[in-house]
Amino acid sequence: CQDQLEETNTNPNEAIKAQPEYLLANAIKSNADLTLGSDASMETTTLFIQHWAKIQYTDPDKYTVSIANVQNVWTNLYSQGLTDFATLIKLGEETGNTNYQAVGLILKSWSFQLLTDLYGNIPYSEALKLNETLTPKYDSQKDVYLGLLNDLKKATELINTGGSPISGDLVYNGNLTKWKKFANSLRLRIALRIADKEPETAKAVVTELAKDKSALIASNDEIAQLVYLASPNQNPVSRDRETRDDYRVSKSIIDKLQELKDPRLAVFANKTVDATPTGYIGVTNGLPADSAAKLGFTKTSKLGDYFTAAASPAVFVSYAEVLFNLAEAAQRGYIAENAADLYKAAVTASLQQFKVSNADIATYLAQPSVSYNAANYKKSIGEQKWLALFSQGLEAFAEWRRLDYPQLKPAYAGVLNGKLPLRLTYPTGEQALNAANYKAAVAAQGEDRLTTRLWFDAF
Amino acid sequence: QTIPVTGKVTSTSGETLPGVTVLIKGTSKGTSTNGDGSYAIEADAGSILKFSFIGLKSIELPVPRDGKLDVRLESDETILQEVVVTALGIAKEKKSLGYAVQELQTKDVAEAREGNLVNALSGKIAGVNITNSQGGMGSSRIVIRGETSIAGNNQPLFVVDGIPVDNSQLGAGANGSRDFANAIADINPNDIESISVLKGPNAAALYGSRASNGVILIKTKSGKGTQRGLGVNVNFGYSSEKLLVLPEYQNVFGQGTGGAFSYVNGKGGGVNDATDESWGPRMDGRLIPQFFSNGEAVPFVAHPDNVKNFFVTGHTRTTGVSVAGSNDKVDYRFSFNNSKQTGVIPNTDISKNSFGVNTTYRLNDKLTLSTSANFARNSSDNLPGTSGRGSSVMLQFLWFGRQVDTELLKDYNKGGFDYNWNHSYYSNPYLLQYENTAQQRRDRFFGNVNLNYKITDWLTANVRTGNDYYNDKRKFRVAYGTNGTPYGSYTEDSYVVNENNTDFNFNFHKNVSTDFELDWLVGGNLRSNFNEQNYQQAPRLAVADLYTLNNSRDPLVSYNVLRKQKVYSAFSSAQVGFRNYAFLNLTARNDWSSTLPTGNNSYFYPSVNASLVLTDAFDIKSNVLTYAKLRGGWAEVGKDTDPYQLVNTFPFNQPFGSAPLLTVSDVFLSEDLKPEITQSTEIGADVALFRNRVRLDVSYYNTDSYNQILRADVSPSTGYKQKLLNAGHINNRGIEAMLNVKPIETESGFKWDIGINFSRNRSKVVELDDEGFLNDYKLGTNGVTVYASKGLGYGAIFGSAFARAENGEQIIGANGLPAKNPSLQVLGHYTPKWMGGINNSFSFKGFNLNVLIDTKQGGSIYSATNATGRYTGVLKSTLPGRDADHGGLTYYYPGNNKAGVAVQVANAAAAPTGAIVYDDGIIANGVTTDGKPNTVIVPAERYYKGVYSNSAGINEASVFDASFIKLREVKLGYTVPQTFISKFKLQSLTLALYGRNLAFLQKKADNIDPETAFNTGNTGQGLESLQLPTTASYGFNLSIGF
Repeated sequence: CQDQLEETNTNPNEAIKAQPEYLLANAIKSNADLTLGSDASMETTTLFIQHWAKIQYTDPDKYTVSIANVQNVWTNLYSQGLTDFATLIKLGEETGNTNYQAVGLILKSWSFQLLTDLYGNIPYSEALKLNETLTPKYDSQKDVYLGLLNDLKKATELINTGGSPISGDLVYNGNLTKWKKFANSLRLRIALRIADKEPETAKAVVTELAKDKSALIASNDEIAQLVYLASPNQNPVSRDRETRDDYRVSKSIIDKLQELKDPRLAVFANKTVDATPTGYIGVTNGLPADSAAKLGFTKTSKLGDYFTAAASPAVFVSYAEVLFNLAEAAQRGYIAENAADLYKAAVTASLQQFKVSNADIATYLAQPSVSYNAANYKKSIGEQKWLALFSQGLEAFAEWRRLDYPQLKPAYAGVLNGKLPLRLTYPTGEQALNAANYKAAVAAQGEDRLTTRLWFDAF
Repeated sequence: QTIPVTGKVTSTSGETLPGVTVLIKGTSKGTSTNGDGSYAIEADAGSILKFSFIGLKSIELPVPRDGKLDVRLESDETILQEVVVTALGIAKEKKSLGYAVQELQTKDVAEAREGNLVNALSGKIAGVNITNSQGGMGSSRIVIRGETSIAGNNQPLFVVDGIPVDNSQLGAGANGSRDFANAIADINPNDIESISVLKGPNAAALYGSRASNGVILIKTKSGKGTQRGLGVNVNFGYSSEKLLVLPEYQNVFGQGTGGAFSYVNGKGGGVNDATDESWGPRMDGRLIPQFFSNGEAVPFVAHPDNVKNFFVTGHTRTTGVSVAGSNDKVDYRFSFNNSKQTGVIPNTDISKNSFGVNTTYRLNDKLTLSTSANFARNSSDNLPGTSGRGSSVMLQFLWFGRQVDTELLKDYNKGGFDYNWNHSYYSNPYLLQYENTAQQRRDRFFGNVNLNYKITDWLTANVRTGNDYYNDKRKFRVAYGTNGTPYGSYTEDSYVVNENNTDFNFNFHKNVSTDFELDWLVGGNLRSNFNEQNYQQAPRLAVADLYTLNNSRDPLVSYNVLRKQKVYSAFSSAQVGFRNYAFLNLTARNDWSSTLPTGNNSYFYPSVNASLVLTDAFDIKSNVLTYAKLRGGWAEVGKDTDPYQLVNTFPFNQPFGSAPLLTVSDVFLSEDLKPEITQSTEIGADVALFRNRVRLDVSYYNTDSYNQILRADVSPSTGYKQKLLNAGHINNRGIEAMLNVKPIETESGFKWDIGINFSRNRSKVVELDDEGFLNDYKLGTNGVTVYASKGLGYGAIFGSAFARAENGEQIIGANGLPAKNPSLQVLGHYTPKWMGGINNSFSFKGFNLNVLIDTKQGGSIYSATNATGRYTGVLKSTLPGRDADHGGLTYYYPGNNKAGVAVQVANAAAAPTGAIVYDDGIIANGVTTDGKPNTVIVPAERYYKGVYSNSAGINEASVFDASFIKLREVKLGYTVPQTFISKFKLQSLTLALYGRNLAFLQKKADNIDPETAFNTGNTGQGLESLQLPTTASYGFNLSIGF
């Protein structure tokens, strides 16, 4: 009788055990969706960074960030991607498949990096342990970044290219060598992120990585990305454009691309429906709703078809970014290489990533306005990185804060007293559900405002 | 010398009475009447026979010499021997019960019909709270004596003829955004003989796991006692439905923003032509290109009834036939009913067809077989849409251009598909109704077989098995070319629901001595449920106008969910009666539920209650005090949970190409769940005065529910969104009173009855978890959030509030807009403070007039209709300040810089030359942070948008007092006299004219019916969300008996 009752209550709809490959695929997709979705990108970072602008419902573009968006970024990263990756690591340990452990650890580290970039201090060491605590403490951003550097190093050591294969790998299709490159490229990214605060650590990491650059993402074919498919697995931006028409390309970036005669303009933006002398017109960020609408839907540039295509990729780390980071490392003296050459290679890689012809690349690089300025490397690298990271809102927002270039003007009708956002506020749920630790984090980091400067953002 | 005595026992109305006790006085020898009322007994000459039957006056008669003794038993109103149906369908004398029970009869629900049976209870039963989700065709929620479960189901169990039937509302609001009616709406009111409401655990303890919310027992009509005429009854009904409440729209300003509008393509090509708001130009006949004018500038004028005219008059026709008969072996009743309802939204309808058979077959003196079988088909070609741009017309009419002539939209194919005033967000509202349909068909079979064996005079055995099965299939079409879904879509969503109950019991009934009577029942029950959903969608159609799952461009989106549950139970109840004035009732039940872990899955519920009829006990005979009874009791019941709450599992996501996706669940489950426990105490009194001219029944109850099973939100940094908890404590207490007065009762036959019911419930969330970690449990959210919050009443509405100075004045920010209190505030509770109903009934010579007025007082509701319509400027309440005619102040911007600070001037002439002067200024009433009166002038549009914005606005401005008084029902019935109809060989002829939901006598919430909620779950209460307007209905009902 008891047996019968127990049997009746066995869930026939869901799996009792997780298959690692299915978890891996799910979590990659979940995180990719997040990096392009409305919460972390469309309604927040791509607007802050002035890649995109809003022509309708302009509140977010004026830095009135929706509570829901802020909550969703936090909730989705922790309770979807991260918890799946953590389970994947556990499964790897249980089955002795170090490669699943390694890939889980790489992606987990990447997810934490996205979180700390946005919020600053975050639950890290006590996170994802529901059985141990319902209220994980917040670790300082410094501790998080240093922890991630260690975790990523550990991940590269766990990878055994001759060991058990992995599947469900939507990024590299099971190519473990490339996963190592991804891990190393993330380490490079984090090293530069903390370069202004922890130069010694940064230098040590970069020095180690630069010894073998083939151990980093070394071509546009090795970009860490998820390539979307047709509906219903289309790119989130593509899905958004099926029903919405709220966004345009920002005037800031269109003006910059035009000033630089940048061939990527035609990739990043579409020509206006109504013909204009230049073909491209951007929208000023943060206009009042009526002023934005008055610009005309057909008289302003929509996002380029490259980004709204169903199969447009979600890029996690690009080759160009690796080269920009190496260029900066050279400039900072961490490695004995020519910063200008690396910068040129980075710009070239970006243009190639967007399928610009070699002739056009040469013309572009020949312009004085594009050439590397060692005296103000942050401007050269900052501006070109800003362009190269177009629509990669999260990374672009982090690097703009660190490099302070390009010098963006705050949204026209911004609500931050003439300032730009420097982080996301903590989600309101934390105030209710993890109050003591939330308060401690705010006390340690500074007021819970969009304008509070994070630890890595030294200047 | 013994004589064989035989005869027949009938009632005063001539019905034969089976089951009448016939006892030889002074002995324990006796018998009872069989199916046709006849009896036979051997008795000594000169002895006396006593005939007794529940609810009828006992009679004692000497044995006649010829042995022939027919008896007629009179009903015994004077001593209030009312019989009511109690738990497990057992009929009991009301005076023996230690708790309150209220009953409704067929005429209370069948004559003035409601599409949803639940609504027919509104205002008639004390302590019952009913809310509708939508007007006319949708679902309704019923809660008795407040919410006893913080997170679980709070609606009562419905039992038809002893068998629990499903009242779920499946797939509400989800796919296709339709408000599918809750399943009890399948029951045909014409088949109902009586409805007995068991209010909470004290009355319902025998139902165990499902008793904590009360039980609604429905008894269907049988053929019993039908002997006159053909036994055929025919019923015709008709009603028409009209809107009861529609928002009040403004008719001064049309579409646009900042006063500007010009149409080119409806998606941003013109001036603000993608804007779905009415902050545009004055509708004063100025010439502006519009959606129908092909670019030509045409007069921009108001169409004040453009929304009202979109709606149509709804019609409901019902036809019913029943055939009933009875003889000494068999009672039978067969019924057929058809109803066809068309809604107030164009192209919406619901058809119901039901067949029912009830039979009782007396196989011999000892064995009786009863069966009941019902089939109901509930089908709709299209149900009204309730939310979302793709289906809700109310959404479109609240984000609207007030100049739009909806008449022009009827031809939605004009100049290509989706001819509309807007193309950025909406499709033509007629297109939504005629092309993007949601069909439903629910086929339901429920019934039972019951075998009763009379082992001896004092012991019977009963075995019953009953089943409720339905198959509910929905089909959703979205046409090619619909805004936002260029390729359209097609979805099929189907449910199978089954519940089987088999129970058996022994019933012992005996006078154990001259003073004591014992009634003892022992039995068991096996219940099994299954519930299956199968969902499939073709997300984009391959070709237009063909709605089948194969017609898909993409892989189908599909999933299915199967849920099973089993509960085994054993139960017993005993009633000890002392001299027919003191009664003690005991019940006990043990359940074993599959949803709980081994070790915790067996749980026991006891209850005890008692009643004492003071007037009999102390032999009080008075012209003032006719009857007085005290009662009281205590009960404990429990509740299991949903299936599959114990072991963490991994749900699948839609595959990514060829890669299957599996994820960690969002909820961390609990392996050691315990059942929820509810303990309830009830005391009451029942008093009749002046020979029953005044009757008062009062109850007080106190209910505590513990071990609440909750999905508590946790910080997502734990890796989960929620954790299943098994803690918490909620208390409900309240009083209920029912007063019946007969002020006038004349010899000529004029009668005036007044029935009043009143109830007041107070709830308090005492605790949510053991560790004190959880302070608020979120119930629902939509603009505001409704919580069960520790220390507060259930259903507290939290939202943003105006910042206020110490004297209560609003604080106005430097930007001229009201400032927001930095922390969320309690803006009200959705639960009413008290409810009541008053029914006046007048009868005279076959005429009967009923007037029912009911009320709920003191609850609150957040109205998204008001928030949205004020943000978009379509509501009349946004007129103040919008121009000089409506009190707008005059101002200009220095240097015509609109980003600057506006300067107020007395009139246009006072502004500097060259300055553009505006007359839509508002100076918000309030003080600045330093206490000085606010002087900052802002444009009206900015003011209203600032206060009513969904994200940045102030919720408090859209929370209303939900109190209302409704003229619920007016019914005029006429029963044609027997003398007249017998000429036409008719047995009965009655006609009723009625109106329901006729008017508000009081209403404090603007633009909406406050008796509404987003859905029937805990998640939708206190939240009005652009719901369809409710309806008033007017109709007649004609019943002819042959």
